[in-house]
Amino acid sequence: MSGDIPETRAGRAGEQSASIRRIEIARKLRSIAVPAIALVALFSAIAWVQPKLLSLRALAGLTTDAAPLLMLVMGSAVVILLGGIDLSVATMASFAAVAFVILNPTLGELAFVAVIVLAGLIGALQGFVHHRAQIPSFVVSFGSLGMLYGVTHFISNATAAPLSQPSAIISFFGSRTAGLPNGVIVVLVSAAILGALFRFTRLGRDIFAVGASERAAFLSGVRTLRVKVLAFAISAICASVAGLLLLGQTGYSSPAMANNYLLPAIVGVVVGGTAISGGIGGVACALVGGLIAGLVRIGTVIVGLNPAYQNIVFGVVIVIAVAITIDREKIGIIK
Amino acid sequence: MIPVLAATGIGKTYPGVRALHDVSVELRHNQVLGLIGQNGSGKSTLLKILSGMEQPTTGKIRLRGVDTVVRSPLAAASMGIGLVHQEQSLIPNLTVAENIFFDKPSPHRRFGIYNWRGLNREAARQLAKLECDIRPDIKVETLSFPDRQMVEFAKVLAIEELVDQPLVILFDEPTSLLSPSEVDDLFRQIRRLRARASVVFVSHRMDEVLEISDRVHVMVNGENVAERTQDTTSHEELYHLMVGSRRSDDYYQESGRGPVEAFEPRLVVRGLTAPGRFRDVSLSVRPGEIVAVTGVAGSGAEPFCRAIFGAEDGVSGSVRVAGVELGSSEMPDAAIRAGVGYVPAERKLEGVIVGRTVLENIVLTFGPQMGRGGLVNRKKETAQALSWINRLKVKTPSPVEYVERLSGGNQQKVSLAKWLMSDRLQILILDHPTRGLDPGAKADLFGVMRGLARQGLAIVFVSETLEETLGMADTVIVMRDGEVSARFEDLCLRKPRAEEIVEAMV
Repeated sequence: MSGDIPETRAGRAGEQSASIRRIEIARKLRSIAVPAIALVALFSAIAWVQPKLLSLRALAGLTTDAAPLLMLVMGSAVVILLGGIDLSVATMASFAAVAFVILNPTLGELAFVAVIVLAGLIGALQGFVHHRAQIPSFVVSFGSLGMLYGVTHFISNATAAPLSQPSAIISFFGSRTAGLPNGVIVVLVSAAILGALFRFTRLGRDIFAVGASERAAFLSGVRTLRVKVLAFAISAICASVAGLLLLGQTGYSSPAMANNYLLPAIVGVVVGGTAISGGIGGVACALVGGLIAGLVRIGTVIVGLNPAYQNIVFGVVIVIAVAITIDREKIGIIK
Repeated sequence: MIPVLAATGIGKTYPGVRALHDVSVELRHNQVLGLIGQNGSGKSTLLKILSGMEQPTTGKIRLRGVDTVVRSPLAAASMGIGLVHQEQSLIPNLTVAENIFFDKPSPHRRFGIYNWRGLNREAARQLAKLECDIRPDIKVETLSFPDRQMVEFAKVLAIEELVDQPLVILFDEPTSLLSPSEVDDLFRQIRRLRARASVVFVSHRMDEVLEISDRVHVMVNGENVAERTQDTTSHEELYHLMVGSRRSDDYYQESGRGPVEAFEPRLVVRGLTAPGRFRDVSLSVRPGEIVAVTGVAGSGAEPFCRAIFGAEDGVSGSVRVAGVELGSSEMPDAAIRAGVGYVPAERKLEGVIVGRTVLENIVLTFGPQMGRGGLVNRKKETAQALSWINRLKVKTPSPVEYVERLSGGNQQKVSLAKWLMSDRLQILILDHPTRGLDPGAKADLFGVMRGLARQGLAIVFVSETLEETLGMADTVIVMRDGEVSARFEDLCLRKPRAEEIVEAMV
């Protein structure tokens, strides 16, 4: 229908869009407030026990350590926003590092592109199988976790291997620019890209729509298959970047190097306020949540606790955070 | 004599909807009380209240002369009230015997451990009351539909063992999926039962209610409009009461209705078939024409409309929109591209995206077309969406309010605005667009539909009531058992009587 606009003066429309913007920003701030306060409180508590945390060196170390985790959290968040879950992210990161070390001697820097593309394709395939065959995403991604685990151990002969030939990209990942760890730069650039995706593209909007109500989105013409394929691809690409960041930090690949990151990655998504039931959250939530998870990882070491406590904390936190954020009306019967 | 069950002044409101208002019914000993009314008239809600599934907002229930609160279906059972569900409540992968005793204590189940032989024997005894020979030890999923209904029946009858008074048995549209001979069987059972129980029987099929009931209550819009005894009423009178004639002067803006101009049809459907849902349905709609597709529950009207939009599986036949064949896609893409919009009946599940804002809902489908290459043009699409919010008079505190905070009528307008954002919308399909709306919101929506038709949109809708069908449509297509059973054209020249349509429906 043609939209002839009655009685809407230009001034009024401008006012209205300004007030829309105000409400949207206020809403975003409100949604991030609690996780942000938790982050500050946690940081202060750790700094109180170990004041050295406040030094620049310690902060750089902390963010370097958190960078791969933040990549994983952002990627996982895309799929969780959709109402699904990708359990293969950590294994995918290990796979990416191992694959890079193997491909680098023959492909050189192109190995980077090859690994990213390969990860994207594997992710897309997961999204495709999940939607086409109507298999819950946790089953599909759990299956690929197993397969990737096996493939990674097979191609690496189950042993750790150093980067046999220097790579500009990987050494960039492992170093600093003007005192800022490059890992942090990679995270910030990725966050900006994802943020723009959510705000300015049809795909980003469709991800939220599918996450909030897949049936209504489908009946409104949203191509749910395409949305899921792309979301899983994005998740896998973020995971592969996380793996390459880890490779940059250590210079070694090992077939299980990132596998411990699965629990903190999912914890990071949910403590940031992204609802596991889908449709609620965003990049800012993922960043704050990822930082909380990263602080817990490092914090336990700093305050001198046995690292085994980390997983206990994560286990408790994930159950509590989901209990707070899940939309029970949408899930219906909880299984 | 004290009635077995007396409900007085029962009212029930859901947020934004008044389902029942001041309804009183009285069930006498060993009688069958019939409740009749159109879809949405409140029959099922009343049964839910009597059986403890819902609590009334106002009013009280007296059971055998004592004020009673029926807190839950379990409590109802312990008082001797049982509901035979419309949608069956049996668990398919359990046996007949397990189902019968599922919701009640049994001496053959101790600490969760079954004594199978005892349980089966006891179940067989319950089934024998109905003189049917279903084996108690087979799984319910292997039974035919009428047999399952017998098990459902036996499940309710088994309540007899728990109470020492005669039962109250409530039937919620038990016949809607039965064949005539199966209906006869059911009625024989009900007549036999009457000696030991009192029955409430709900249906929208006139003749059945008349045949089985001693007294009949007629419900319209959540109110009890009449009470008749079987021997003092007739089909015709019940039709009249049920269809009602309390329409205000120009609720449907009928003054805006004229003969539809003889343009080329905008939508041509030929021989559309979906096995088990509808067969060989054809239809053509001209620009500016409003076509109502109507029928009782299960007539196939709703799936037919969904199929035009491409949201039903396994459909064959031809759908042409403005000369373009849509093909038999199971995705709405093709239909949407051709200019078809669909407003579903399940507003909160399918019509709007709950958890997103009014604005996001409106721009969802066609907003991105105002941008370029996958990027959205927020400014342009927002301006367009705001103009539709104004034109449809959507009442919302702000355009970025979450859509679920709006009233039902305004949610419906949001669902509609989403399609109006298209600059080449040709056809609008609306499935029960006024479901759950109050009269003011309904009139509003009718005004919008009439205005869109006048601008040349072709509209197909499944109406909530006969009154709506007659008030809004230029053409009426009646469906029964998946096939077109009657067509009435040019309603502005000659309006069929409500009875003519009802006859084609049942």
